[in-house]
Amino acid sequence: MAALSAATAIVAVVVPFAAGLSLLGTVPMGLVAYRYRLRVLVAATIAGSLIAFLVAGMGGMMTVVECAYIGGLVGLVKRRNRGTPTVIVVGAFAGVAFGAVSIGALKVLARLRNLIFESITANVNGVARALSHVPYMQPVSERMKDGFPKVLTYWPWLIGGSSALGILIITLIGWWALSRVLTRLSKPSNLQKLDTPADDGVIAPLPVRLHDATFRYPNADHDALGPVTLGVESGEHVAITGVNGSGKTTLMLVLAGQPPASGTVERPGGVGLGRVGGTAVIMQHPESQVLGSRVADDVVWGLPPGQSIDVDKLLEEVGLDGLAERDTGGLSGGELQRLAVAAALAREPSLLIADEVTSMVDQPGRAALLGLLAGLRERHRMALVHITHYNNEADSAERIVNLTGTGASDNTEMVELAAPPTATPSVDARSAVAVIEVDGVGHEYASGTPWATTALRDVSFDVHEGDGLLIHGGNGSGKSTLAWIMAGLTMPTTGSCLLDGRPVSDQVGAVAMSFQAARLQLLRGRVDREVASAAGFSPHDAGAVATALATVGLDASLATRPIEQLSGGQMRRVVLAGLLARSPRALILDEPLAGVDADSQRGLVRLLEDLRRRTGLTVIVISHDFAGLEDLCPRTLHLQDGVVQAAPARAGGAA
Amino acid sequence: MSAPARRPVVLLRPVPGGSTIHDLWAGTKLIVVFGISVLLTFYPGWVAIGLVAALVLTTARMARIPRGALPSIPGWLWVVIAIGGITAAIGGGPPEVHIGSVGLELGGLFNFLRITVLSIVLLGLGAMVSWTTNVAEVPPAVATLGRPLRPLRIPIDEWAVALGLALRAFPMLIDEFRVLYAARRLRPRQVPATRRARRRRWAVEMIDMVTAAITVALRRADEMGDAIAARGGSGQISAAPSRPKWRDAVALVVVAVVSAAAIASELLLGATAI
Repeated sequence: MAALSAATAIVAVVVPFAAGLSLLGTVPMGLVAYRYRLRVLVAATIAGSLIAFLVAGMGGMMTVVECAYIGGLVGLVKRRNRGTPTVIVVGAFAGVAFGAVSIGALKVLARLRNLIFESITANVNGVARALSHVPYMQPVSERMKDGFPKVLTYWPWLIGGSSALGILIITLIGWWALSRVLTRLSKPSNLQKLDTPADDGVIAPLPVRLHDATFRYPNADHDALGPVTLGVESGEHVAITGVNGSGKTTLMLVLAGQPPASGTVERPGGVGLGRVGGTAVIMQHPESQVLGSRVADDVVWGLPPGQSIDVDKLLEEVGLDGLAERDTGGLSGGELQRLAVAAALAREPSLLIADEVTSMVDQPGRAALLGLLAGLRERHRMALVHITHYNNEADSAERIVNLTGTGASDNTEMVELAAPPTATPSVDARSAVAVIEVDGVGHEYASGTPWATTALRDVSFDVHEGDGLLIHGGNGSGKSTLAWIMAGLTMPTTGSCLLDGRPVSDQVGAVAMSFQAARLQLLRGRVDREVASAAGFSPHDAGAVATALATVGLDASLATRPIEQLSGGQMRRVVLAGLLARSPRALILDEPLAGVDADSQRGLVRLLEDLRRRTGLTVIVISHDFAGLEDLCPRTLHLQDGVVQAAPARAGGAA
Repeated sequence: MSAPARRPVVLLRPVPGGSTIHDLWAGTKLIVVFGISVLLTFYPGWVAIGLVAALVLTTARMARIPRGALPSIPGWLWVVIAIGGITAAIGGGPPEVHIGSVGLELGGLFNFLRITVLSIVLLGLGAMVSWTTNVAEVPPAVATLGRPLRPLRIPIDEWAVALGLALRAFPMLIDEFRVLYAARRLRPRQVPATRRARRRRWAVEMIDMVTAAITVALRRADEMGDAIAARGGSGQISAAPSRPKWRDAVALVVVAVVSAAAIASELLLGATAI
């Protein structure tokens, strides 16, 4: 049910945009109608049309309603497994119905109708009059002038007919697009699925005992966890460590109430996920687990109606005091995670599970978050289970449980956190030739409006051929803006960014850029087509594709693999394969290691080091982390609040 | 100052600062905007448009909305308006004005102007809400406004939750679409030789973009679904739901009076005026 409402909400946002883009707004709505019940489609339509109303007024609202109407029909036909003939019939009927409604509306809105018709008549007459002065065009002009009013007297037929035809055409386009998209989409993912268990009776998740518990995802051919034997007592602090794939997150699901595939899980009462006195979970992605648009709203989000809590006190405890009225959109990753802790505390849980909560948070944020978690048990009666793949994060626990995986690999190496290296802006570059010259660059978003915000101020530096530069900064330091400017995607408000002496914004594509979200950069459905399209050669050129894949250490057999079946690390490599095949002047990597497990991180860094050394590739890495990047990027630039800092932003970070 | 930068359209973010208009209950603003939109659709006369335009301008003044909030109007739109205006003006029509010995027929131009101003006023009306309301206030207001529908078994609370989540996801998805578009720009342009191949390429690219956008959106939805489950399902959506106050009553009365005046003028003058 929860996933449903989330899907509804998200689709509701996609629609107005897709509708603006083209006729494809019907696709998301069709998807909803295909996958879920009608009730969900209705909720999505309401939410979507209200947003469209706020954004673009009545017109936008009507567009969304129309998309929902057509998309819903197409989705339902698809769901019933019918073919194109059915769609044509349904589309024709729907068109006639819609035409009838339009006629009815215009009949009622007589004044608006007259205004529109008179206005169009005036335009037609104007054109006719202008044409009458053009030689040989008088007959056309006459016909326009006399004919148009006659046509208008038949307006119900005109309007009805054209809307019926229009709806039919849009239905067919929507049908075609939805069919294509559905074949491309992977099956609904089974990556992580928390579910609200139907709890009846007493909520008492602790003490919990797992005995030889295993877990297997639906449709999977091997166990994702176990067998695990483990107990968690009331009030204790347990750290669970292990490499990626050892089942840490799966263990979280079992602790949070998923029944095990085999073995037993004993609890005195119900799990009470999200209930008062039950179990609370904080997850990895800071952005997606904050559900309210305002900080205070997020703390209470989902509490049973009528229950009141002291929001300010909770916010003070997690160090967000005074931010109750702030928009959650402007918070940093660390602040969002602390807000998630506050929302969990609002439920006074007996068991708090923190699952990889620091992996997407910058270093200062990480320290604050860990400090908060460690101190929680002094003030609350609860057990804390902290799942992490950073070994030093587990140290403050009373007990450490190391999951060794299900036999796939006995790799127990964990990610080390590195202290920030000192800034070394004066180190000699490899070559004297400057590739990218950033000169006095400043950038302001939404200039000239009341919402103007400055992202960068007077930033100047050079990047030389074969350089390895790390641009380091926390949230909101302007590092991503700088990356976009260096790739030529954003024009700086002041100053200039030159590539080989010419503005880089005139040479978009010459500097390659790999975005943090690799999936967004993979636009084609299959690896070979993707690489070919990004690199600019023919997808039939198997040799070129294989060479490109080999550059990034991928096997040629991967070429025919659908994108959706790649792992996170593989996606990043495929992106790099496409980018490198064009021999870019420089390669910018935005947070290349975020969300990639320890093994793939090391492999990726080694690959980039090797490329830089062998081919003299210029590499610029944008990151809030330093771990393992010292050799790849001998030079470091610290950004804070849009200004280049001489020394590391945080001096006390050295271990 | 520097090069005249294009002012972008900023959506769903209130103009910084506070005012009486900012403090109005979001529900009041929704009622007003919806009511006036309906009014203008039924009675799009000069008097009604003028009264509503005056109302919008007064509100903007009270909310202290600077001129910079207006987005820059792209050049092509001016061209379209100019073409429409000129052809309509040539078209002529009944009301004729004599300036000296020259007779000017203004009917066509008037009609064109009326429809243009009507569109601008309607857009401005929506913008007023967008510029003075924190989006967080909208879902609770919708839930309150829809309360009378609850006995009809209409799941108004579900809708309010969906709306709230959608508004929360809005900025995140906008960012993701930006990246999607940028990634496309970074690719080499391949222009197929024939028109048929070009059309096919366009279609393929469209599908690719939509698929990528939907994949990203669904992934986000999965994560948000987990987060909702972790909170034990939906429930409260607002820490301090605001309620209508006295000033809301005042605002509603003002708007009601203006609307009544507009309708009255339309009905009384309707026969004679345009």
